[in-house]
Amino acid sequence: MSFPLRMVLHIFLLYTFLSCTIWSTSSRAADTSSQALTILEHAIDHWRGTSSIATFSLTIHRPDFERTMRMKGWTKGRQNGLFFVLEPPKDAGNGTLKKGREMWTYNPKINRVIKLPPSMMSQSWMGSDFSNNDLAKSDSVLDEYTHRIISEEIINGLTHYTIEATAKEEAPVVWGKQELLVREDDILLRQSFYDEDMVLVKEMIGSDIISLDDRLFPRRWEIRRANKADHYTRLEYRDIVFDVDISDTTFSLMSLKQKGR
Amino acid sequence: MYIILAWRNLWRNRRRTLIILTAVIIGISSMIVMAAFSRGTVQGMVSNSINNLVGHIKIEHQQHPADPAIEHRIITPEKLLRQITAMLPPGSRVVQRIRADAMLSTSREHVGLVLVGIDPDLEQGVSFIGRPPAQGTLFGNQNQGGIIVGRSLLKKINGKLGQKVVITCQGADGTNIAKAFRIQGVFATELESTERAFAFVQLHTMQQMLGVGNDITEIAIQLPDNNGNPPVDLAATTAFLQANVSDKQLLARNWRQMLPAISSYLEMFDGFMLIWYLIVFLAMAFGLVNTMLMAVYERMREFGLLQALGMRPGCIIKMVMSELLLLLTFGCSISSVAAFITVHFFFSSGIDLAIFAEGAEFWGISRIIYPLLTSWDIIAANSVVLLLGMFTGLYPALRATKFSPVQTMRHV
Amino acid sequence: MAIVTVNNVSRIYHQGKTEFKALDDVSLTINKGEFTALAGPSGSGKTTLLNLIGGIDTADKGTILLDGQDLSSLKKGELADLRLQDIGFVFQSFNLIPVLTAAENVEYILRLQKIPSSIRRQKVKAILADVGLADKADQRPSELSGGQQQRIAVARAVVASPAIVLADEPTANLDSVTGQKLLDLMQQMNTDKQVTFVFATHDKMVMDYARRVITLKDGRIADDIRK
Repeated sequence: MSFPLRMVLHIFLLYTFLSCTIWSTSSRAADTSSQALTILEHAIDHWRGTSSIATFSLTIHRPDFERTMRMKGWTKGRQNGLFFVLEPPKDAGNGTLKKGREMWTYNPKINRVIKLPPSMMSQSWMGSDFSNNDLAKSDSVLDEYTHRIISEEIINGLTHYTIEATAKEEAPVVWGKQELLVREDDILLRQSFYDEDMVLVKEMIGSDIISLDDRLFPRRWEIRRANKADHYTRLEYRDIVFDVDISDTTFSLMSLKQKGR
Repeated sequence: MYIILAWRNLWRNRRRTLIILTAVIIGISSMIVMAAFSRGTVQGMVSNSINNLVGHIKIEHQQHPADPAIEHRIITPEKLLRQITAMLPPGSRVVQRIRADAMLSTSREHVGLVLVGIDPDLEQGVSFIGRPPAQGTLFGNQNQGGIIVGRSLLKKINGKLGQKVVITCQGADGTNIAKAFRIQGVFATELESTERAFAFVQLHTMQQMLGVGNDITEIAIQLPDNNGNPPVDLAATTAFLQANVSDKQLLARNWRQMLPAISSYLEMFDGFMLIWYLIVFLAMAFGLVNTMLMAVYERMREFGLLQALGMRPGCIIKMVMSELLLLLTFGCSISSVAAFITVHFFFSSGIDLAIFAEGAEFWGISRIIYPLLTSWDIIAANSVVLLLGMFTGLYPALRATKFSPVQTMRHV
Repeated sequence: MAIVTVNNVSRIYHQGKTEFKALDDVSLTINKGEFTALAGPSGSGKTTLLNLIGGIDTADKGTILLDGQDLSSLKKGELADLRLQDIGFVFQSFNLIPVLTAAENVEYILRLQKIPSSIRRQKVKAILADVGLADKADQRPSELSGGQQQRIAVARAVVASPAIVLADEPTANLDSVTGQKLLDLMQQMNTDKQVTFVFATHDKMVMDYARRVITLKDGRIADDIRK
């Protein structure tokens, strides 16, 4: 599956996932806490696979313009990702490499690889509503939250869990809490991000669940800022293959330069 | 007699004298007030810059100015600090800091800035961060997770005291590090850019976070008498430090070296002022010559009569010149007093440049300017006006001697 | 004894390309103690002659000796000193410095002569009494009548005891009674103090007072009558 999807998931999912237990003060809370964690872990595992190769389109919508890029990505585990722009031709070959929490970008026009310094991590990734930082920090998030199930609802015969993930006091994350909607078959449908005052900041919504390469998952993802209807980024899969054998050397600076050509 | 005559002649045409006197007073006052204003601006620039984590002298790794990466740091500085302190004149302050480029994030904003690890107790009187914060508190040793941000930054991220922010930066091993801090204090400085550029945490906390042990990136030295003009020789002290620190990787620079633009501006400043005086004077000179010529032509017959009675041409020149001298002396003294009053009473609390703040910040000019009146400026302005004024008066005075008694007395 | 000796003096004014002979080969002598009028219609050269004698104009031809000194040999500054020391002037009008009081106007000459202030004050007081204006000492010229202004002018002219007093139409702006009083004053100065007076005038009354009347016509002496 594509890097961006993993990204999206990791970034936003993973942020949410992990757990310690503020709520363990009551045994009931402890129960929902561990159950919530299990649900999230399964949702992650559903996406994680071992590796994926995908092509997808990324649409950035603003009140005054909209542009769509076609991209291709490789992922392996949670740590490694590599992807490139295929279209439009103007941007083709621009690439991003993620290894752990480090990120590099490659621009074919100047034939330079740049390691993103901390100061650039806040900048928007490819002009979208993701920041570089969203991508880079995606895997650290598992440890930084405590979780509980706040509601269960049966829709079309499937149980939908709403899980609240609250950031730990000292965790180096900017969110106050996240809310995730996970279907009982481990499909993440929505992830909402709240600031410290528990005000909604942005939301990621999955839709159009299809079966691709024998896995069910939402084909389309949208990320929206709260109160900004005209301001969103949409990600749509064209095709995806899971559990392919990808060499570790794929995720190197060398291939960042070569694959983009 | 000349003075009495000049005095009475001045008041013959009361209106004209008052007008030219007003012009002279406005001219000289504006010279002096503008000079005080500029000098205050420059002085503000200098002390802003020095307080802006520059200090009088700074010691850092020789590569650090060009490439402020954490690799270019001062390793285990304890011995060096003792060494430096021993070399400096008594009353000097020595502080150590560690700084790194970092990103500060909230759930809505991401801001790049320079994170500085400091020992807040030592910074007092050395840099702006040593002052009590505008809001909240400076961290003591007990609060390791506190961060102090600038007022403008707080406004930009729409934050509040106690809010959590995440700092991301590069550690000594090259990996990215993220750590959560809570906003514990808010500092305010003269410059908004400074308020956005820096955030402060405990030195020790930052050393731990970066994984650098006790290493630091800079040693800042404040020499006694923090007025931009330390009594000891700045250049010599810097050179002495550079020559005597045991680690040859280190570079000692004083603020004049670190801020070459401000330094050279400072050196040219008196010249600028003199040019400014000349320009204002030039405008004034036309009025002066014109007025004196009018006064002389009007009294053509009088000068003719005086010559007929046996007054030598030299005396006539003296007569005209003493009128001018009286006028200028008058103008100079009134305007000096007026300028003094303006600066000390009207602008004693400074001039708020808030409206122009954004443009002014380009040069590191303060939001509030405290005009600085120096005797050099008062003397220079008055001398320019008096000397050149008398010089311009020579022409009308010479004209006055050219009126022949025969011709002028014939006009009836 | 001759105070002024004029030898073959000519003075030519140029107006554009035309020449105008204000004086044409004039010679005359004026002795100490004289009370002389230079008479003649306007344009006859009488004021020019007076200016030449007073050293405020220079002759084109001929020599003028004042108290034995040849005026044409003096520089501008020396001429000024000569006027200050040896000549008193009374003009037709505008004789006084407007910003100075009557007494100061008189005193000013003595000041220029660098006479000590105690003597100055004494002399000024005496002369103002002589001209009958002791009570007007502290008034400005604008506060005095025309006649009073001319009397102050006379006082100033004689205060430094000059060799000669030159008066150009002194009575022209005065009514006849005032003019007569002024002439009485000058005549008295002439008899009491032996001050030499030369007038340029076309006033009949002045000629009546004069003891010698030199009549000029077209720049030449037409008549020289001693009474």
